[in-house]
Amino acid sequence: MNFKKILLAVDASENSSRAIEYTGVIIGDAADFQIELLYVERMPERDIFPDETSWQTACEEEKDKIRKFLDQAKSMLLNRGVRPEIVSIRYLKFSDFYGSPNDVGFRGVANQIMHAQQEGNFGTLVVGRRGVSKTEEFLFGSVSTKIIHHIKGCTVWVVE
Amino acid sequence: MTTSARELLCDLMPSFPVRHSGQIYTDTTQFMNINYGDVIALKERNFLVLRDEAERRFGLEDPKYWVKRCRELNSGKRFILKLVFHEKFEQKIGPLTINCYRSPKKESRILDLIRGDERFMQGKTVLDEAGNPVRILDVISGKSLDNVVEDIDMDHRTYFHEKFPGILEKFIGSCEGIKYMHDNGERHGDVRRDHIYVEYGTGDYRWIDFDYAYESTENPFGLDLFGLGSILLFITGKGVHDAVSLTSSPSGLEFYSSLSPDDFFLIFSHRVINLRKLFPYIPESLNRVLMHFSQGAYITYETIDEMLPDLRQGLKDVSTL
Repeated sequence: MNFKKILLAVDASENSSRAIEYTGVIIGDAADFQIELLYVERMPERDIFPDETSWQTACEEEKDKIRKFLDQAKSMLLNRGVRPEIVSIRYLKFSDFYGSPNDVGFRGVANQIMHAQQEGNFGTLVVGRRGVSKTEEFLFGSVSTKIIHHIKGCTVWVVE
Repeated sequence: MTTSARELLCDLMPSFPVRHSGQIYTDTTQFMNINYGDVIALKERNFLVLRDEAERRFGLEDPKYWVKRCRELNSGKRFILKLVFHEKFEQKIGPLTINCYRSPKKESRILDLIRGDERFMQGKTVLDEAGNPVRILDVISGKSLDNVVEDIDMDHRTYFHEKFPGILEKFIGSCEGIKYMHDNGERHGDVRRDHIYVEYGTGDYRWIDFDYAYESTENPFGLDLFGLGSILLFITGKGVHDAVSLTSSPSGLEFYSSLSPDDFFLIFSHRVINLRKLFPYIPESLNRVLMHFSQGAYITYETIDEMLPDLRQGLKDVSTL
């Protein structure tokens, strides 16, 4: 694995912003790195909306929010001196998810991030961390914890 | 627009008092207006409304105005009709508060999935004239699992040896039912001990109420698993053993004081989960399943597939005591 090939997995959260800032500061204007900003699509749960129209609207709003965030994320890196030519953006749509829908954890964001890391031969993976309690982690899960437990052959930076 | 139900009731249920005849509703949108004596007409079927359902918890009745106890006029059979009610509310789970949504469509979808499967309540969805999906549910004659266990009048040791093996075996069947849901991409959403009904006669355990939905999370089955752990704790302990129940006697207080944080439930931090300390005859294998839900657990279950083999081993050991 090439540790200078960095996969920076983000959503539109403050934790992600911290991970982006951290990566920007660490890499600075170094020329021999590559950074891919990855967002794994997680649309609002269909069942919590009363009808199809309101769900579709919420999905479009979420997509807009994420696209803007990804553009801002790139700007944040560039503001820290990162060279534009080493930064790329990837929006992983649900329809392009790795594996089969029958696989355990197929919909899990952590699972998709680890697939992307393997496929892209990324030697470093950066994620933010919410800092959830043990109870929250049990009930709702944690992307960073799952990654730490399951990833192989890759350095992980968990930014608190 | 509604019309009088008097003629229909006189024809199909002459024993019904005429003075209580209400209206015929083909559109159930305004469910608050539909009361005793009204008739809900769905395609060729007519349902006389008897009363609103109510949930009984902690001695209080919480009316559910969108859930109607009915009698079908054509067949004379009893049914529960669940009308469309979209609701968002906060649910408290231990120290956490989460957003919960009521989803009629989710319940309809699950009813289709589990049709004919006796581990679940049965029913079908019919659209009313306004397009509302009305769920017509079969009535389960029985009582909830918590009431069944609480009503067993014997000490824990006798209960554990004589009654518990059978209860655990049936509970494993209920867990397999939830696994079937998960394998098909669904979640129960409200796994509680009073959402398993024990049917009179057959003794079958049947899940009810599938309409709770939640926002997406990284661990989609966490809430259902927590619910199963909570039920397992209840049936193994023949009730809840917590700060309140244990500290009412000097010996209980001494025992309670000797426990460490790891002996308590992760979610409800005053509830003892290391039941083997309280009842030493509980096999280690079964207690280990419980300890996956403890505050000290390093490894927790993420899927029912992980829990089921451990539970089956626990049953085996309980049955050979």
